[in-house]
Amino acid sequence: MATVVQIENLRKEFGKVCALDGVSFEIQEGEWIAIMGPSGSGKTTLINILGGLDTPTSGRAMVDGVDVGRLDEAGLTRFRAEKIGFVFQQFHLVSYLTALENVMLAQYFHSTTDEKEAQQALERVGLGDRIEHLPSQLSGGEQQRVAVARALINHPKLILADEPTGNLDEANEKIVLDLLRELHAGGRTILMVTHAPSIGSLADRRIDFSHGHLVPQPASLASERCS
Amino acid sequence: MFWRLVFQLLRGSRARLTVAILALVSGAAVISGLLNLDFGVEYQLTQQFRTLGANVVITPEAIPSAPESTLTNSALINEDAVMSQVRHIAASNVSFAPFAYVIAHIGDTQVVAVGTWLDQLHNLNPTWKMDGVWISSRAETGQCLVGRNVSRQLHVTTGSPLQLQYLARNAQCKISGVIDSGAADDNQIFVNLDSLQTLADLPGKISLVQLSVSGTPKLIAATASQLSTALPQFQVHPIRQVTEAEGALLGRIRLLIISMILLILVLTALCVLATMAALAMERRADVGLMKALGGSIARIVGFFVAEVGLLGAAGGLVGAVLGAGLSYWMGLRVFDTAVTPRWQIFPITIILMTLVAMAGALPLRMLGEVKPAIILRGE
Repeated sequence: MATVVQIENLRKEFGKVCALDGVSFEIQEGEWIAIMGPSGSGKTTLINILGGLDTPTSGRAMVDGVDVGRLDEAGLTRFRAEKIGFVFQQFHLVSYLTALENVMLAQYFHSTTDEKEAQQALERVGLGDRIEHLPSQLSGGEQQRVAVARALINHPKLILADEPTGNLDEANEKIVLDLLRELHAGGRTILMVTHAPSIGSLADRRIDFSHGHLVPQPASLASERCS
Repeated sequence: MFWRLVFQLLRGSRARLTVAILALVSGAAVISGLLNLDFGVEYQLTQQFRTLGANVVITPEAIPSAPESTLTNSALINEDAVMSQVRHIAASNVSFAPFAYVIAHIGDTQVVAVGTWLDQLHNLNPTWKMDGVWISSRAETGQCLVGRNVSRQLHVTTGSPLQLQYLARNAQCKISGVIDSGAADDNQIFVNLDSLQTLADLPGKISLVQLSVSGTPKLIAATASQLSTALPQFQVHPIRQVTEAEGALLGRIRLLIISMILLILVLTALCVLATMAALAMERRADVGLMKALGGSIARIVGFFVAEVGLLGAAGGLVGAVLGAGLSYWMGLRVFDTAVTPRWQIFPITIILMTLVAMAGALPLRMLGEVKPAIILRGE
């Protein structure tokens, strides 16, 4: 099995605050990883670096053989379009675009649009009858399913899901988790941030963070200042 | 997808963009109206100044102020010699007529009798008011026109017979109309030129020639210069007060129009700028998301530039049409004649408003600085 993510001694500082302090781990292709930890432990910072939204202070973050930290702005833009599928806690759909157009937007930034393919992606997440609806006309769960369809449309190497069920009720949470389960079964590599142990337990593997360190590490040694 | 997204952007922000489009349409309407006026103002002013009467006068060498002189005490001009040259030089935009003056009598009252081409009197003096009928035939010898003061003094009116006496000779005519010029012409009687020359026994002699050249001050000066060259034995006077006033007024109106256009362009750009600054703040989240999805800043800003360009072009087009109507109305109000819209104004207005909209969209540049990680965190 190929390594999709390889992180070596990754550090990220925001001024004097150290969000990630020498983190190292690997993710194999097709794995579903749950990143867990309290707020401020560095989970979202890790997702942002892996997704090319932020750059590390030092260390290496390789995704599908690409060292994200070495990419320039144009390289990061291509990297995000081609390698990554994002699913956010707040859904982040464009409010004046329909469900279909939100999915096609990701296609447009990747290469060319294919309305039929976008429609099929929405059908796959159970929204075949809602393609012309605006986000404001969809429930939270439906909006998140649109976001999942958008994340999948360009066949990314890595799906980064930052608390994908954090804003959903129980019923919609189940629908979205079933979708992730389906994607995993289909061989997708998923890195999911979650607070909920019950959701984390669905993943193949759990990586716990505390104060920018991987757990287990003696919590007493961890501090907000980089060592 | 590009245009689909641009139209969705327009639709999604229509409330805020309404302010920008209103600014662009009203700016374009006024600019188009002013440009139409500017194009038409020279023609309109020329027409207006032409109503003030003759703007070139040909007199004998020694007589600087001919209208007050008479055939009896003035140097005279040979009618054929001067009129053949005038006819040769005068284009279709020039009205002209020879004038001869005598002090004649009607009964015991002394009057200035003016012999001229009666059919040209109205062309040379379009603002004169007429109570009666203008004489349309140059050959008409039985009819004459009298000034308002003469009519009052002699208690005569339209249809009254008049008997002019000069030395021992008499001439009769019937009054066709009473003119009101508001000037010295109200004290004069206008008769057929041949009749007056016969009365004064000076056939083929005139006092002066009046010309009304329709055109710019430059054209008037050029015509006067041509006449002066062709008639070296006479004095050719452009009536400077009229031509210079026309030139000065034209210059001032142009300056005013250009200043107003610049001011309106700046104000419109500021209005669009304010709207776009607010819009840029609203769209930070969308831009952050688009960047996260792999959108390059060039492609993302491309949406907004196209949106603003469309707004500018649409505002320019609608405004240009409204401006054509505005200039038509302004022409009627200011010049008493409609200003015909020029087709050139449409592309000029559309291009100007597109550029103004683009300039007003400068705040959208700040979207290039948006950090998706920060935006997606909700900060």
